[in-house]
Amino acid sequence: MLANPVIEKELKTKMRGWKSPALISAYLCFLGFIVLLFYLSSRESARYSADYFNPRVALELYNSIAMLQFFLLLFITPAMTAAAISGERERQTLDLVLCTNLSSSSIVTGKIVVSIAHVLLLVTASLPILATVFLYGGIRITDLLLLFGFYLLMALFMGSLGIFCSTLFKKSAVSMIVTYITIFCLISGTPILLAIWHVFIMHNQNAPTLYDAMSFMFSNPVFGFSSLFEGMSRGNMILEIFSMRTYGMPQTTGNFMIKPWMANMAFNLVASVIFILLAAWKINPVKRGLFIRKTEAQKANQLKNQAV
Amino acid sequence: MLVVDNLVKSYGKFKAVDGLSLDIGEGHIYGFVGANGAGKTTTMKIIAGLLKPTSGKVMVDGTDISENPKAVKRKIGYMPDFFGVYDDLKVTEYMDFYSGVYGIPKPERKKIADQLLELVNLSDKKDSYVDSLSRGMKQRLCLARSLIHNPKLLVLDEPASGLDPRARVEMKEILKELRNMGKTILISSHILPELAELCTSIGIIERGKMVISGTVDEIMRRISHGKTLRVKILGDMEPAVRFLKEQPIISRISAASEFIDADFDGDSDVLADILKNLIKNDIRVVSFTELEKNLESVFMHLTIGGVQNAG
Ligand SMILES: Nc1ncnc2c1ncn2[C@@H]1O[C@H](COP(=O)(O)OP(=O)(O)OP(=O)(O)O)[C@@H](O)[C@H]1O
Ligand SMILES: [Mg+2]
Repeated sequence: MLANPVIEKELKTKMRGWKSPALISAYLCFLGFIVLLFYLSSRESARYSADYFNPRVALELYNSIAMLQFFLLLFITPAMTAAAISGERERQTLDLVLCTNLSSSSIVTGKIVVSIAHVLLLVTASLPILATVFLYGGIRITDLLLLFGFYLLMALFMGSLGIFCSTLFKKSAVSMIVTYITIFCLISGTPILLAIWHVFIMHNQNAPTLYDAMSFMFSNPVFGFSSLFEGMSRGNMILEIFSMRTYGMPQTTGNFMIKPWMANMAFNLVASVIFILLAAWKINPVKRGLFIRKTEAQKANQLKNQAV
Repeated sequence: MLVVDNLVKSYGKFKAVDGLSLDIGEGHIYGFVGANGAGKTTTMKIIAGLLKPTSGKVMVDGTDISENPKAVKRKIGYMPDFFGVYDDLKVTEYMDFYSGVYGIPKPERKKIADQLLELVNLSDKKDSYVDSLSRGMKQRLCLARSLIHNPKLLVLDEPASGLDPRARVEMKEILKELRNMGKTILISSHILPELAELCTSIGIIERGKMVISGTVDEIMRRISHGKTLRVKILGDMEPAVRFLKEQPIISRISAASEFIDADFDGDSDVLADILKNLIKNDIRVVSFTELEKNLESVFMHLTIGGVQNAG
């Protein structure tokens, strides 16, 4: 992977100077501050109650930080990739790479890997802070790993969506806007569709089942994300809003085999692959048509070559 | 080395390149001349694999570009007319990046970069950031970049555009050095004389079509049958124009505000007679010269002809 010269170059320039370290430090300070507030307030409330320390606080903290990072990924990843190709086009550096024999898929994957690495670095750097909750129990290490896996696929999806848009539009600003609108539609458009379907097609009969919800919202990152916290979300305002209950469904997903986060992660993976392939196809200047394989002339030529 | 056969590139109904053919032998320097919008950049981009031709064929060193673009790109060094550089990258890192792009192993990169920077006189700028370089330096850096994988064919789109006279001379010296290294070069320019002393062959392109193509001498020969006489007259030009028109050896006359150009076919004897008769007819001749046929005037002649034919 590191043999990809795009990755090497981007890492070199992105990590140079004071900006990246400053960003990471600022972010960690911010998180540390939140953690401190949480623990202080719990100490404060402990004074007036019988328990010395309420383990719920740790759980709350975990949920809050997880959510904070979720929104961070949601907003930052597209910004990092939605200008990747269009920005090179605007700065007139794209042709210089395209005229080399570097494959267009290497360019695209290089850009994505670097952007994702950059955001995930923020998340990874915060792991120790998140891990303080282990002191109090209530969270398993598998929860943390699953959360991280979810972040990874989400960043991959956001990143490849951004790259795809940046190959589609000449202007970075347009690409950026379209990327964010798409994400917005995934988050708020899919529940609206579900509601419309429920009211106008099903005529408000039974409450939509989890199966119905998933058929509409498998691509909704918030829906998938909140299901990760099933059973833990009580008390957390924002997770509450996006939890099943809000859609008039049973609060837990019960024994249903496929959980929303699974569907969402699968969707993210498949969609990312498609977006990356399309983006690579799009920037290849001498691409063949998607459906027309070879012209007659090329076929004839090939036959001739085979004969020789 | 480079064979372009009946190349066409259409944008809708408009044909930017219209049935262009070229054949450049190994070690030749081919000058590609044409007015703005003639289709030079379009042709060169197609050769560099950055644009898909509507039809036609490009062969580099015996390989068809549409069949094996990667192999062809390995043989071509391309320098675009406009290009940008990454900010936040030093000159050595810039070279290192493109070496990596061409898959040159790490240990060899530094040596190659040093050699090339030496060639383009940028050795003392090794540790500068590329976006801090002057335009001329960036252009030379881009040339060095296009040489990084030791390509056989160089496609240079107006490498001297936007440079001051001194930098132009420097660029020309570098190109001469490349010629001595045995590279085949396709180079475009608006300015014919600039190419004349560098190139072995020249092609003039107009509205996507090759107007004329051949070695520099050949073109001169093909154009120079038919010479031009320039006469400057004091006072009313009308009688002079009328008189010149009557001369049988003069085929075409164009009168500007200060002088008259007349195409003629004949030797100095005839010219002397014409001058004698002009003066006899009381026409006040200030100067009377046969125009030096240089490439510039050939170019003007040909391209203006093209516009007139089309219009
Ligand atoms: N993407 C495009 N869409 C439509 N027309 C185009 C496009 N690119 C180029 N053209 C047209 O093709 C013609 C040839 O352009 P080209 O850039 O090849 O000219 P040129 O000879 O390089 O000119 P210059 O000397 O100004 O660099 C121009 O008329 C231009 O308007
Ligand atoms: Mg041009």
